[in-house]
Amino acid sequence: MTELYLGLALILLLTIAIGLVRILRGPTATDRMLAAQLFGTTAVAILLLLGQAAGNSAIWDVALIFALLTAVAAVTFVRRKDIDSTTETEEHDGTD
Amino acid sequence: MELALIFDLILLITLIALAWLLLASSDIFRAVVLFIAFGLLLALAWVRLGAPDVALAEAAIGAGITGALLLVGLGRLGSAEHYRGTRTRLTFLQRLSAPVLIGVMIPSISLILLLELSLHASATPGQQGLVNVLLDVSGTNHGVTAVLMNFRAWDTLLEKGVLLLALISIWSLDQARPLFRQNDISPQLTGLARLLLPIMIIVAGFVLWQGDHAPGGAFQSGAILSAGILLAILVGYTLPTRRQGLSLRLLLAVGFSVFLLVAAATLLSSDYLLKYPDSLAGSLILLLELVATASIAALLAAAVVGGHPPDDLSKPVDRSSAVNGGQT
Repeated sequence: MTELYLGLALILLLTIAIGLVRILRGPTATDRMLAAQLFGTTAVAILLLLGQAAGNSAIWDVALIFALLTAVAAVTFVRRKDIDSTTETEEHDGTD
Repeated sequence: MELALIFDLILLITLIALAWLLLASSDIFRAVVLFIAFGLLLALAWVRLGAPDVALAEAAIGAGITGALLLVGLGRLGSAEHYRGTRTRLTFLQRLSAPVLIGVMIPSISLILLLELSLHASATPGQQGLVNVLLDVSGTNHGVTAVLMNFRAWDTLLEKGVLLLALISIWSLDQARPLFRQNDISPQLTGLARLLLPIMIIVAGFVLWQGDHAPGGAFQSGAILSAGILLAILVGYTLPTRRQGLSLRLLLAVGFSVFLLVAAATLLSSDYLLKYPDSLAGSLILLLELVATASIAALLAAAVVGGHPPDDLSKPVDRSSAVNGGQT
């Protein structure tokens, strides 16, 4: 059973590694931010699986904190965009 | 076990790649998002290393405060989203220096590390045995908390002092500016905050209490609370002006001050700094953790806000008017 949990966690970790492409290529800031948010959700799933595999409930607490707090960065991002919404020209982003 | 090894290897490679990419990124916003992702994976790495205490702290700090702090800082840089470093053409020697540094430094550091590792082939448990023996008299049932709050409480005392000093430095620079416009806050945001804030407070309390017998404690709990305070600020809550004076400063300083008082009292009564009387150890640790949580939460949130409250509280200065505007 431990193998199954670890295997699933491994697949989820691979999806994070592949998802990095979205952060790197964008093209808009929102794409990058949402990719990081998605990683937060994936990390919660990985932590739950690792906790199950190791039988350690402290790992679930880490997952709980991630689930609660990743939203704060997203809210900051949304509120920050309010303030400079006049300069929203992101078409030529991520072309380096 | 094979799977665990593959998992660790991929995690390690992704971490190093992330670190490299975020340092080399010319787009600062992209670097910030990469740093948030780095924090997530770093917490996973701490879990795999069998250090749930550190993973908990990394999760509480990395997921909540750090991302917000960097995003706010980026906003302060002006039209920062499009800020890029300028690239200059490199001379031949400059071009050569990177491969030489990487080609010489990394192999030699790896070699030294390998030699060191081969000397200490068997991992030593460190002070674990000693901690377990003394756990009964420490006043808590979790080894890490016992070390942080009792055996090495001196370090924790200084850590509180460093946090306080950091905020004093931030406050000495400038007056706080409004982080965000206070108008048109979407109802979804307010709803999200109303939903999340009570849960955050409960979880912070849970993590603090859990520090007695499992990973958790004042720092993690304070970091969760500070994320909650930040969320409240983001949806437009403000500290009432009459609380921005002495009350705020007392809250910021109470953790360090009480710790210092306890240190002085133990020094006078037992000739040893922070050597608690056995019967009082549990209660003293709980008291210190409680005040430390309050101070850490306030300090971290104040650091994100940046700058001291307006000097003349009765008459907010024009720049900060939006911060206080919510109450009029």
